[in-house]
Amino acid sequence: MTEPAVVVLPLWLPGLILLLAAGGLVAVGLCRRWAGAAAEETAEEERDWSIPELVVETAPGNLFQRWDTRIKLATLLGYAFLVVSLHRPGPAAAAVLISAVAVLLARIPSTGVLKRAAGISGFLLMLALIMPLTVRRHPGDPIVVIAGLEFLTFNPRGLTLALTIGCKALAVALLMEPMLATSALGNTLEALARLGVPVKLTQMVLLSHRYLHVFAAESQRMQTAMRARGFKQRTDRRTLQTVANFLGMLFVRSFDRTQRVQDAMLARGFTGRFPVHHRFAAAPGDWLLAVAWLSVGVILLLFDRFGL
Amino acid sequence: MHISDGVLPTQVAVGCYVLGAVVVAWSTYRTRGDDLPKVALATASFFVASLVHVPLGPTSVHLLIPGIVGVLLGPSAFLAIAVGLTLQSMLFQFGGLTALGANALMMGIPALVCGRLFQALRGSSRQRAVAAGALVGALGVALAALILGLLLYSGGEDFLGVAQLALAAHLPVMVIEAAVTAFMVGFLSRVKPELLELPLGSGRQDALGVKA
Repeated sequence: MTEPAVVVLPLWLPGLILLLAAGGLVAVGLCRRWAGAAAEETAEEERDWSIPELVVETAPGNLFQRWDTRIKLATLLGYAFLVVSLHRPGPAAAAVLISAVAVLLARIPSTGVLKRAAGISGFLLMLALIMPLTVRRHPGDPIVVIAGLEFLTFNPRGLTLALTIGCKALAVALLMEPMLATSALGNTLEALARLGVPVKLTQMVLLSHRYLHVFAAESQRMQTAMRARGFKQRTDRRTLQTVANFLGMLFVRSFDRTQRVQDAMLARGFTGRFPVHHRFAAAPGDWLLAVAWLSVGVILLLFDRFGL
Repeated sequence: MHISDGVLPTQVAVGCYVLGAVVVAWSTYRTRGDDLPKVALATASFFVASLVHVPLGPTSVHLLIPGIVGVLLGPSAFLAIAVGLTLQSMLFQFGGLTALGANALMMGIPALVCGRLFQALRGSSRQRAVAAGALVGALGVALAALILGLLLYSGGEDFLGVAQLALAAHLPVMVIEAAVTAFMVGFLSRVKPELLELPLGSGRQDALGVKA
Protein backbone atom coordinates (compact mmCIF):
# COMPACT_ATOMS: atom_id res chain seq x y z
CA MET A 1 0.00 0.00 0.00
CA THR A 2 1.42 3.34 -0.98
CA GLU A 3 1.41 6.27 1.39
CA PRO A 4 -1.13 8.87 0.30
CA ALA A 5 0.43 11.89 -1.30
CA VAL A 6 -0.14 14.97 0.82
CA VAL A 7 -0.26 18.30 -0.94
CA VAL A 8 0.15 21.31 1.32
CA LEU A 9 -1.30 24.54 0.03
CA PRO A 10 -0.27 27.94 1.38
CA LEU A 11 -2.99 29.67 3.38
CA TRP A 12 -3.57 32.50 0.91
CA LEU A 13 -4.68 30.26 -1.95
CA PRO A 14 -7.79 28.76 -0.33
CA GLY A 15 -8.38 32.13 1.31
CA LEU A 16 -8.58 33.69 -2.14
CA ILE A 17 -10.87 30.89 -3.37
CA LEU A 18 -13.12 31.29 -0.31
CA LEU A 19 -13.25 35.04 -0.85
CA LEU A 20 -14.23 34.53 -4.50
CA ALA A 21 -16.85 31.92 -3.52
CA ALA A 22 -18.30 34.23 -0.87
CA GLY A 23 -18.40 37.05 -3.41
CA GLY A 24 -20.19 34.78 -5.84
CA LEU A 25 -22.71 33.73 -3.21
CA VAL A 26 -23.42 37.35 -2.27
CA ALA A 27 -23.87 38.19 -5.95
CA VAL A 28 -26.28 35.29 -6.43
CA GLY A 29 -28.19 36.39 -3.31
CA LEU A 30 -28.43 39.97 -4.55
CA CYS A 31 -29.56 38.78 -7.99
CA ARG A 32 -32.26 36.68 -6.38
CA ARG A 33 -33.38 39.56 -4.22
CA TRP A 34 -33.53 41.90 -7.21
CA ALA A 35 -35.33 39.29 -9.25
CA GLY A 36 -37.75 38.80 -6.36
CA ALA A 37 -38.33 42.54 -5.99
CA ALA A 38 -38.85 42.96 -9.73
CA ALA A 39 -41.25 40.03 -9.75
CA GLU A 40 -43.16 41.51 -6.82
CA GLU A 41 -43.55 44.76 -8.70
CA THR A 42 -45.00 43.07 -11.73
CA ALA A 43 -47.15 40.79 -9.57
CA GLU A 44 -49.60 43.67 -9.20
CA GLU A 45 -50.74 43.30 -12.79
CA GLU A 46 -49.93 39.70 -13.48
CA ARG A 47 -51.83 36.79 -12.10
CA ASP A 48 -48.96 34.99 -10.47
CA TRP A 49 -45.26 34.81 -11.18
CA SER A 50 -44.11 32.01 -8.95
CA ILE A 51 -45.66 29.12 -10.84
CA PRO A 52 -44.57 28.82 -14.45
CA GLU A 53 -46.81 27.45 -17.16
CA LEU A 54 -45.77 24.29 -18.92
CA VAL A 55 -46.99 25.19 -22.38
CA VAL A 56 -45.57 25.62 -25.82
CA GLU A 57 -43.41 28.70 -25.85
CA THR A 58 -40.92 27.68 -28.48
CA ALA A 59 -40.92 28.44 -32.16
CA PRO A 60 -43.19 25.91 -33.84
CA GLY A 61 -41.91 23.14 -36.02
CA ASN A 62 -38.71 22.24 -34.25
CA LEU A 63 -37.48 18.72 -33.79
CA PHE A 64 -38.94 18.20 -30.33
CA GLN A 65 -42.39 19.51 -31.21
CA ARG A 66 -42.69 17.26 -34.22
CA TRP A 67 -41.52 14.24 -32.25
CA ASP A 68 -44.44 12.03 -31.19
CA THR A 69 -45.05 12.90 -27.53
CA ARG A 70 -45.33 9.28 -26.39
CA ILE A 71 -42.06 8.26 -28.00
CA LYS A 72 -40.38 11.49 -26.88
CA LEU A 73 -41.28 10.94 -23.24
CA ALA A 74 -40.35 7.26 -23.21
CA THR A 75 -37.05 7.92 -24.98
CA LEU A 76 -35.96 10.84 -22.84
CA LEU A 77 -37.01 9.16 -19.59
CA GLY A 78 -34.99 6.08 -20.51
CA TYR A 79 -32.10 8.29 -21.56
CA ALA A 80 -32.28 10.14 -18.21
CA PHE A 81 -31.82 6.84 -16.38
CA LEU A 82 -28.85 6.01 -18.60
CA VAL A 83 -27.32 9.42 -17.81
CA VAL A 84 -27.70 9.07 -14.04
CA SER A 85 -25.98 5.67 -14.23
CA LEU A 86 -22.71 7.31 -15.37
CA HIS A 87 -19.81 7.12 -12.92
CA ARG A 88 -17.05 9.21 -14.44
CA PRO A 89 -16.82 12.99 -14.87
CA GLY A 90 -15.86 12.88 -18.56
CA PRO A 91 -18.97 11.10 -19.87
CA ALA A 92 -21.13 13.11 -17.44
CA ALA A 93 -19.75 16.36 -18.89
CA ALA A 94 -20.43 15.00 -22.38
CA ALA A 95 -24.05 14.37 -21.31
CA VAL A 96 -24.33 18.04 -20.28
CA LEU A 97 -23.10 19.06 -23.74
CA ILE A 98 -25.64 16.77 -25.43
CA SER A 99 -28.43 18.26 -23.30
CA ALA A 100 -27.24 21.77 -24.15
CA VAL A 101 -27.45 20.88 -27.86
CA ALA A 102 -30.97 19.58 -27.25
CA VAL A 103 -31.93 22.89 -25.61
CA LEU A 104 -30.55 24.77 -28.64
CA LEU A 105 -32.37 22.47 -31.07
CA ALA A 106 -35.64 22.92 -29.21
CA ARG A 107 -35.14 26.71 -29.22
CA ILE A 108 -36.19 26.98 -25.59
CA PRO A 109 -36.19 30.46 -24.02
CA SER A 110 -33.27 30.68 -21.60
CA THR A 111 -35.37 31.78 -18.59
CA GLY A 112 -36.94 28.36 -18.11
CA VAL A 113 -33.59 26.61 -18.43
CA LEU A 114 -31.95 29.00 -15.96
CA LYS A 115 -34.76 28.53 -13.45
CA ARG A 116 -34.21 24.79 -13.54
CA ALA A 117 -30.47 25.22 -13.08
CA ALA A 118 -31.20 27.50 -10.11
CA GLY A 119 -33.60 24.88 -8.73
CA ILE A 120 -30.85 22.31 -8.35
CA SER A 121 -28.02 24.70 -7.47
CA GLY A 122 -28.54 24.68 -3.70
CA PHE A 123 -28.37 20.92 -3.31
CA LEU A 124 -25.38 20.60 -5.64
CA LEU A 125 -23.49 23.46 -4.00
CA MET A 126 -23.89 21.70 -0.67
CA LEU A 127 -22.51 18.48 -2.16
CA ALA A 128 -19.54 20.33 -3.67
CA LEU A 129 -18.73 21.94 -0.29
CA ILE A 130 -19.23 18.89 1.89
CA MET A 131 -18.05 15.95 -0.15
CA PRO A 132 -14.36 16.91 -0.46
CA LEU A 133 -14.26 17.12 3.35
CA THR A 134 -16.18 13.99 4.16
CA VAL A 135 -15.58 11.27 1.55
CA ARG A 136 -13.84 8.19 2.81
CA ARG A 137 -10.11 8.15 2.15
CA HIS A 138 -9.17 5.33 -0.17
CA PRO A 139 -5.56 4.18 -0.12
CA GLY A 140 -3.73 6.19 -2.74
CA ASP A 141 -6.05 9.19 -2.65
CA PRO A 142 -4.03 12.37 -2.58
CA ILE A 143 -4.87 14.65 0.31
CA VAL A 144 -4.82 18.42 0.19
CA VAL A 145 -4.30 20.32 3.42
CA ILE A 146 -3.88 24.02 4.01
CA ALA A 147 -0.92 25.40 5.93
CA GLY A 148 -2.28 26.60 9.27
CA LEU A 149 -5.53 24.63 8.94
CA GLU A 150 -4.18 21.09 9.13
CA PHE A 151 -7.33 19.72 10.75
CA LEU A 152 -9.23 20.13 7.46
CA THR A 153 -8.22 17.52 4.91
CA PHE A 154 -9.58 17.98 1.42
CA ASN A 155 -9.92 14.89 -0.70
CA PRO A 156 -9.99 15.82 -4.41
CA ARG A 157 -11.86 12.58 -5.10
CA GLY A 158 -14.83 14.07 -3.22
CA LEU A 159 -14.80 17.11 -5.45
CA THR A 160 -14.68 14.89 -8.55
CA LEU A 161 -17.62 12.89 -7.21
CA ALA A 162 -19.63 16.04 -6.47
CA LEU A 163 -18.83 17.46 -9.91
CA THR A 164 -19.89 14.22 -11.60
CA ILE A 165 -23.19 14.29 -9.72
CA GLY A 166 -23.61 17.95 -10.62
CA CYS A 167 -23.04 17.22 -14.31
CA LYS A 168 -25.54 14.36 -14.28
CA ALA A 169 -28.16 16.48 -12.50
CA LEU A 170 -27.60 19.37 -14.90
CA ALA A 171 -27.77 17.08 -17.94
CA VAL A 172 -31.19 15.77 -16.88
CA ALA A 173 -32.42 19.20 -15.76
CA LEU A 174 -31.53 20.72 -19.14
CA LEU A 175 -33.44 17.94 -20.91
CA MET A 176 -36.61 18.68 -18.93
CA GLU A 177 -37.45 21.78 -20.97
CA PRO A 178 -37.10 20.13 -24.41
CA MET A 179 -39.07 17.19 -23.03
CA LEU A 180 -41.94 19.06 -21.33
CA ALA A 181 -42.18 22.57 -22.74
CA THR A 182 -42.51 21.40 -26.34
CA SER A 183 -45.98 19.88 -25.85
CA ALA A 184 -48.96 21.23 -23.94
CA LEU A 185 -49.26 19.68 -20.46
CA GLY A 186 -52.51 17.97 -21.43
CA ASN A 187 -50.83 16.20 -24.35
CA THR A 188 -47.85 15.21 -22.20
CA LEU A 189 -50.15 13.67 -19.60
CA GLU A 190 -52.30 11.93 -22.21
CA ALA A 191 -49.12 10.50 -23.70
CA LEU A 192 -48.10 9.26 -20.26
CA ALA A 193 -51.50 7.62 -19.92
CA ARG A 194 -50.95 5.85 -23.26
CA LEU A 195 -47.60 4.68 -21.91
CA GLY A 196 -49.32 2.95 -19.05
CA VAL A 197 -49.53 5.53 -16.24
CA PRO A 198 -53.04 5.19 -14.71
CA VAL A 199 -55.44 7.80 -16.08
CA LYS A 200 -56.57 8.57 -12.52
CA LEU A 201 -53.08 9.87 -11.76
CA THR A 202 -52.54 11.89 -14.93
CA GLN A 203 -55.92 13.56 -14.44
CA MET A 204 -55.00 14.45 -10.88
CA VAL A 205 -51.77 16.07 -12.05
CA LEU A 206 -53.68 18.06 -14.67
CA LEU A 207 -56.36 19.19 -12.22
CA SER A 208 -53.82 20.00 -9.54
CA HIS A 209 -51.81 22.09 -11.99
CA ARG A 210 -54.93 24.04 -13.00
CA TYR A 211 -55.68 24.94 -9.40
CA LEU A 212 -52.12 25.76 -8.38
CA HIS A 213 -52.58 29.17 -9.93
CA VAL A 214 -55.88 29.74 -8.17
CA PHE A 215 -54.49 28.85 -4.75
CA ALA A 216 -51.25 30.73 -5.37
CA ALA A 217 -53.32 33.82 -6.13
CA GLU A 218 -55.36 33.20 -2.99
CA SER A 219 -52.17 32.85 -0.97
CA GLN A 220 -50.78 36.04 -2.51
CA ARG A 221 -53.95 37.93 -1.64
CA MET A 222 -53.88 36.74 1.96
CA GLN A 223 -50.21 37.67 2.31
CA THR A 224 -50.92 41.12 0.93
CA ALA A 225 -53.68 41.50 3.51
CA MET A 226 -51.28 40.40 6.27
CA ARG A 227 -48.66 42.92 5.16
CA ALA A 228 -51.29 45.65 4.96
CA ARG A 229 -52.04 44.96 8.64
CA GLY A 230 -48.41 45.44 9.55
CA PHE A 231 -47.27 41.79 9.69
CA LYS A 232 -43.51 41.39 9.41
CA GLN A 233 -41.83 38.01 9.45
CA ARG A 234 -39.40 37.55 12.33
CA THR A 235 -37.89 34.62 14.15
CA ASP A 236 -40.40 34.47 16.97
CA ARG A 237 -43.46 32.67 18.27
CA ARG A 238 -45.84 35.27 16.92
CA THR A 239 -44.64 34.78 13.35
CA LEU A 240 -45.07 31.03 13.63
CA GLN A 241 -48.57 31.48 15.05
CA THR A 242 -49.51 33.85 12.24
CA VAL A 243 -48.04 31.59 9.54
CA ALA A 244 -49.94 28.64 11.04
CA ASN A 245 -53.20 30.60 10.99
CA PHE A 246 -52.48 31.66 7.43
CA LEU A 247 -51.91 28.05 6.35
CA GLY A 248 -54.97 26.89 8.26
CA MET A 249 -57.08 29.52 6.52
CA LEU A 250 -55.57 28.58 3.15
CA PHE A 251 -56.57 24.96 3.73
CA VAL A 252 -60.09 25.86 4.95
CA ARG A 253 -60.71 27.97 1.86
CA SER A 254 -59.11 25.45 -0.49
CA PHE A 255 -61.01 22.50 0.93
CA ASP A 256 -64.28 24.41 0.69
CA ARG A 257 -63.44 25.12 -2.89
CA THR A 258 -62.69 21.46 -3.63
CA GLN A 259 -66.32 20.65 -2.78
CA ARG A 260 -67.68 23.43 -5.01
CA VAL A 261 -65.39 22.47 -7.89
CA GLN A 262 -66.37 18.84 -7.60
CA ASP A 263 -70.06 19.72 -7.61
CA ALA A 264 -69.53 21.89 -10.68
CA MET A 265 -67.63 19.10 -12.45
CA LEU A 266 -70.34 16.57 -11.69
CA ALA A 267 -73.02 19.02 -12.84
CA ARG A 268 -71.21 19.24 -16.19
CA GLY A 269 -71.20 15.50 -16.60
CA PHE A 270 -67.70 14.63 -15.44
CA THR A 271 -67.35 10.86 -15.54
CA GLY A 272 -63.80 10.58 -14.23
CA ARG A 273 -62.07 11.37 -17.48
CA PHE A 274 -61.48 14.63 -19.34
CA PRO A 275 -62.18 14.45 -23.07
CA VAL A 276 -59.09 14.09 -25.25
CA HIS A 277 -58.82 16.02 -28.48
CA HIS A 278 -55.34 14.99 -29.43
CA ARG A 279 -54.55 12.15 -31.78
CA PHE A 280 -51.14 10.56 -31.59
CA ALA A 281 -49.55 9.26 -34.75
CA ALA A 282 -46.06 7.82 -34.77
CA ALA A 283 -44.12 7.99 -38.04
CA PRO A 284 -40.96 5.96 -38.79
CA GLY A 285 -38.95 9.14 -38.22
CA ASP A 286 -40.14 9.27 -34.59
CA TRP A 287 -38.85 5.75 -33.96
CA LEU A 288 -35.61 6.49 -35.78
CA LEU A 289 -34.97 9.51 -33.56
CA ALA A 290 -35.74 7.42 -30.48
CA VAL A 291 -33.29 4.72 -31.52
CA ALA A 292 -30.61 7.30 -32.32
CA TRP A 293 -31.11 9.09 -29.01
CA LEU A 294 -31.01 5.96 -26.90
CA SER A 295 -27.94 4.79 -28.82
CA VAL A 296 -26.18 7.96 -27.74
CA GLY A 297 -27.08 7.14 -24.15
CA VAL A 298 -25.86 3.57 -24.43
CA ILE A 299 -22.61 4.71 -26.06
CA LEU A 300 -22.09 7.18 -23.19
CA LEU A 301 -22.62 4.39 -20.69
CA LEU A 302 -20.31 1.97 -22.50
CA PHE A 303 -17.67 4.66 -22.73
CA ASP A 304 -18.14 5.34 -19.01
CA ARG A 305 -17.63 1.71 -18.00
CA PHE A 306 -15.14 0.39 -20.52
CA GLY A 307 -13.75 3.50 -22.22
CA LEU A 308 -10.36 5.14 -22.12
CA MET B 1 -34.58 19.05 0.77
CA HIS B 2 -35.25 17.20 -2.46
CA ILE B 3 -32.84 14.68 -3.94
CA SER B 4 -31.64 15.73 -7.38
CA ASP B 5 -30.81 13.53 -10.34
CA GLY B 6 -27.53 11.69 -10.31
CA VAL B 7 -27.13 11.25 -6.55
CA LEU B 8 -28.75 7.89 -5.98
CA PRO B 9 -27.41 4.68 -7.49
CA THR B 10 -29.62 3.68 -10.43
CA GLN B 11 -30.82 0.48 -8.73
CA VAL B 12 -32.00 2.51 -5.72
CA ALA B 13 -33.71 5.11 -7.92
CA VAL B 14 -35.55 2.42 -9.91
CA GLY B 15 -36.39 0.45 -6.76
CA CYS B 16 -37.89 3.57 -5.18
CA TYR B 17 -40.01 4.12 -8.31
CA VAL B 18 -41.38 0.59 -8.01
CA LEU B 19 -42.02 0.84 -4.27
CA GLY B 20 -43.52 4.31 -4.71
CA ALA B 21 -45.87 2.97 -7.40
CA VAL B 22 -47.05 0.22 -5.06
CA VAL B 23 -47.79 2.70 -2.25
CA VAL B 24 -49.50 5.07 -4.71
CA ALA B 25 -51.72 2.20 -5.82
CA TRP B 26 -52.57 1.42 -2.19
CA SER B 27 -53.23 5.09 -1.44
CA THR B 28 -55.48 5.40 -4.51
CA TYR B 29 -57.37 2.30 -3.43
CA ARG B 30 -57.91 3.80 0.01
CA THR B 31 -59.25 7.03 -1.52
CA ARG B 32 -62.90 6.97 -2.48
CA GLY B 33 -63.04 7.13 -6.29
CA ASP B 34 -65.34 10.16 -6.33
CA ASP B 35 -62.93 12.04 -4.10
CA LEU B 36 -59.92 11.93 -6.42
CA PRO B 37 -60.62 15.41 -7.88
CA LYS B 38 -60.90 16.74 -4.32
CA VAL B 39 -57.55 15.25 -3.39
CA ALA B 40 -56.06 16.76 -6.55
CA LEU B 41 -57.27 20.20 -5.54
CA ALA B 42 -56.07 19.75 -1.98
CA THR B 43 -52.69 18.83 -3.46
CA ALA B 44 -52.58 22.21 -5.18
CA SER B 45 -53.09 23.93 -1.82
CA PHE B 46 -50.32 21.87 -0.20
CA PHE B 47 -48.04 22.74 -3.09
CA VAL B 48 -48.67 26.44 -2.45
CA ALA B 49 -48.21 25.95 1.31
CA SER B 50 -44.86 24.24 0.79
CA LEU B 51 -43.60 27.37 -0.99
CA VAL B 52 -44.14 29.44 2.17
CA HIS B 53 -40.87 30.40 3.83
CA VAL B 54 -40.46 30.99 7.53
CA PRO B 55 -37.58 33.19 8.69
CA LEU B 56 -34.94 31.55 10.85
CA GLY B 57 -32.36 34.04 12.04
CA PRO B 58 -30.52 35.43 9.02
CA THR B 59 -31.86 32.79 6.65
CA SER B 60 -35.24 31.20 6.02
CA VAL B 61 -36.55 27.68 5.70
CA HIS B 62 -39.51 26.41 3.76
CA LEU B 63 -42.02 24.11 5.37
CA LEU B 64 -41.96 20.43 4.44
CA ILE B 65 -45.49 19.78 5.79
CA PRO B 66 -45.56 15.96 5.65
CA GLY B 67 -47.22 16.01 9.09
CA ILE B 68 -49.91 18.49 8.04
CA VAL B 69 -50.70 16.59 4.82
CA GLY B 70 -50.97 13.37 6.79
CA VAL B 71 -53.31 14.95 9.34
CA LEU B 72 -55.61 16.43 6.70
CA LEU B 73 -55.61 13.64 4.10
CA GLY B 74 -55.03 10.41 6.02
CA PRO B 75 -54.34 7.48 3.67
CA SER B 76 -54.74 9.72 0.60
CA ALA B 77 -51.70 11.72 1.72
CA PHE B 78 -49.22 9.59 -0.21
CA LEU B 79 -51.17 10.03 -3.42
CA ALA B 80 -51.32 13.80 -2.92
CA ILE B 81 -47.61 14.02 -2.15
CA ALA B 82 -46.68 11.93 -5.19
CA VAL B 83 -48.77 14.19 -7.44
CA GLY B 84 -47.38 17.34 -5.80
CA LEU B 85 -43.76 16.23 -6.13
CA THR B 86 -44.33 15.26 -9.77
CA LEU B 87 -45.50 18.81 -10.40
CA GLN B 88 -42.61 20.33 -8.41
CA SER B 89 -40.14 18.33 -10.45
CA MET B 90 -41.86 19.17 -13.75
CA LEU B 91 -42.21 22.88 -13.00
CA PHE B 92 -39.25 23.86 -10.83
CA GLN B 93 -36.78 20.98 -10.95
CA PHE B 94 -37.26 20.66 -7.18
CA GLY B 95 -36.34 17.00 -7.02
CA GLY B 96 -34.90 15.16 -9.98
CA LEU B 97 -36.93 13.27 -12.55
CA THR B 98 -35.15 10.00 -11.85
CA ALA B 99 -35.31 10.59 -8.07
CA LEU B 100 -39.08 11.17 -8.07
CA GLY B 101 -39.84 7.78 -6.53
CA ALA B 102 -37.29 8.34 -3.79
CA ASN B 103 -38.60 11.83 -3.03
CA ALA B 104 -42.19 10.57 -2.90
CA LEU B 105 -41.24 7.86 -0.40
CA MET B 106 -39.21 10.35 1.65
CA MET B 107 -42.19 12.69 2.14
CA GLY B 108 -45.10 10.30 1.68
CA ILE B 109 -44.25 7.56 4.17
CA PRO B 110 -43.86 10.06 7.06
CA ALA B 111 -47.19 11.62 6.04
CA LEU B 112 -48.95 8.25 6.26
CA VAL B 113 -47.39 7.54 9.67
CA CYS B 114 -48.29 11.02 10.93
CA GLY B 115 -51.86 10.80 9.72
CA ARG B 116 -52.42 7.48 11.44
CA LEU B 117 -50.71 8.61 14.63
CA PHE B 118 -52.64 11.87 14.78
CA GLN B 119 -55.98 10.06 14.50
CA ALA B 120 -54.89 7.71 17.29
CA LEU B 121 -53.67 10.46 19.62
CA ARG B 122 -55.88 13.47 19.04
CA GLY B 123 -58.48 12.51 21.65
CA SER B 124 -61.44 14.78 22.22
CA SER B 125 -59.95 17.88 23.84
CA ARG B 126 -58.31 20.71 21.94
CA GLN B 127 -55.18 20.69 24.10
CA ARG B 128 -54.61 17.07 23.34
CA ALA B 129 -55.14 17.61 19.62
CA VAL B 130 -52.66 20.50 19.67
CA ALA B 131 -50.08 18.35 21.46
CA ALA B 132 -50.65 15.56 18.94
CA GLY B 133 -50.20 18.15 16.18
CA ALA B 134 -46.85 19.26 17.61
CA LEU B 135 -45.74 15.65 17.86
CA VAL B 136 -46.65 14.67 14.30
CA GLY B 137 -45.25 17.96 12.97
CA ALA B 138 -41.85 17.16 14.45
CA LEU B 139 -42.11 13.45 13.68
CA GLY B 140 -42.94 14.07 10.01
CA VAL B 141 -39.77 16.09 9.50
CA ALA B 142 -37.67 13.67 11.56
CA LEU B 143 -38.83 10.65 9.56
CA ALA B 144 -38.35 12.49 6.26
CA ALA B 145 -34.81 13.44 7.33
CA LEU B 146 -34.10 9.87 8.38
CA ILE B 147 -35.27 8.45 5.05
CA LEU B 148 -33.28 11.13 3.22
CA GLY B 149 -30.18 10.16 5.19
CA LEU B 150 -30.69 6.47 4.43
CA LEU B 151 -31.24 7.13 0.73
CA LEU B 152 -28.11 9.28 0.52
CA TYR B 153 -26.14 6.64 2.39
CA SER B 154 -27.28 4.04 -0.14
CA GLY B 155 -24.78 5.71 -2.47
CA GLY B 156 -21.92 4.27 -0.39
CA GLU B 157 -19.70 5.35 2.47
CA ASP B 158 -18.63 8.44 0.56
CA PHE B 159 -22.08 9.89 1.23
CA LEU B 160 -22.04 9.35 5.00
CA GLY B 161 -20.92 12.92 5.73
CA VAL B 162 -23.60 14.39 3.48
CA ALA B 163 -26.25 12.17 5.06
CA GLN B 164 -25.23 13.28 8.58
CA LEU B 165 -25.26 16.93 7.57
CA ALA B 166 -28.70 16.55 5.98
CA LEU B 167 -30.00 15.04 9.23
CA ALA B 168 -28.53 17.87 11.31
CA ALA B 169 -29.92 20.53 8.96
CA HIS B 170 -33.44 19.22 9.60
CA LEU B 171 -33.29 19.79 13.38
CA PRO B 172 -34.31 23.47 13.29
CA VAL B 173 -36.97 22.66 10.68
CA MET B 174 -38.36 20.06 13.08
CA VAL B 175 -38.85 22.66 15.81
CA ILE B 176 -40.48 25.15 13.44
CA GLU B 177 -42.70 22.54 11.88
CA ALA B 178 -43.81 21.23 15.28
CA ALA B 179 -44.84 24.75 16.31
CA VAL B 180 -46.60 25.55 13.03
CA THR B 181 -48.45 22.21 12.97
CA ALA B 182 -49.55 22.63 16.59
CA PHE B 183 -50.79 26.18 16.03
CA MET B 184 -52.53 25.10 12.84
CA VAL B 185 -54.31 22.24 14.53
CA GLY B 186 -55.43 24.69 17.22
CA PHE B 187 -56.68 27.08 14.55
CA LEU B 188 -58.54 24.38 12.62
CA SER B 189 -60.11 22.92 15.77
CA ARG B 190 -61.68 26.34 16.40
CA VAL B 191 -62.54 27.25 12.81
CA LYS B 192 -63.36 23.96 11.07
CA PRO B 193 -62.93 20.96 13.35
CA GLU B 194 -64.41 18.51 10.81
CA LEU B 195 -61.23 18.84 8.72
CA LEU B 196 -59.33 17.17 11.56
CA GLU B 197 -61.94 14.51 12.22
CA LEU B 198 -62.45 12.94 8.82
CA PRO B 199 -59.52 13.19 6.42
CA LEU B 200 -60.51 14.36 2.95
CA GLY B 201 -61.04 11.64 0.41
CA SER B 202 -61.07 8.68 2.75
CA GLY B 203 -64.56 7.36 2.57
CA ARG B 204 -63.13 4.18 4.09
CA GLN B 205 -61.73 5.92 7.11
CA ASP B 206 -63.50 3.45 9.39
CA ALA B 207 -61.71 0.46 7.87
CA LEU B 208 -59.32 -1.22 10.23
CA GLY B 209 -55.83 -2.56 9.79
CA VAL B 210 -54.17 0.43 8.13
CA LYS B 211 -50.55 -0.25 7.52
CA ALA B 212 -48.66 3.00 7.37
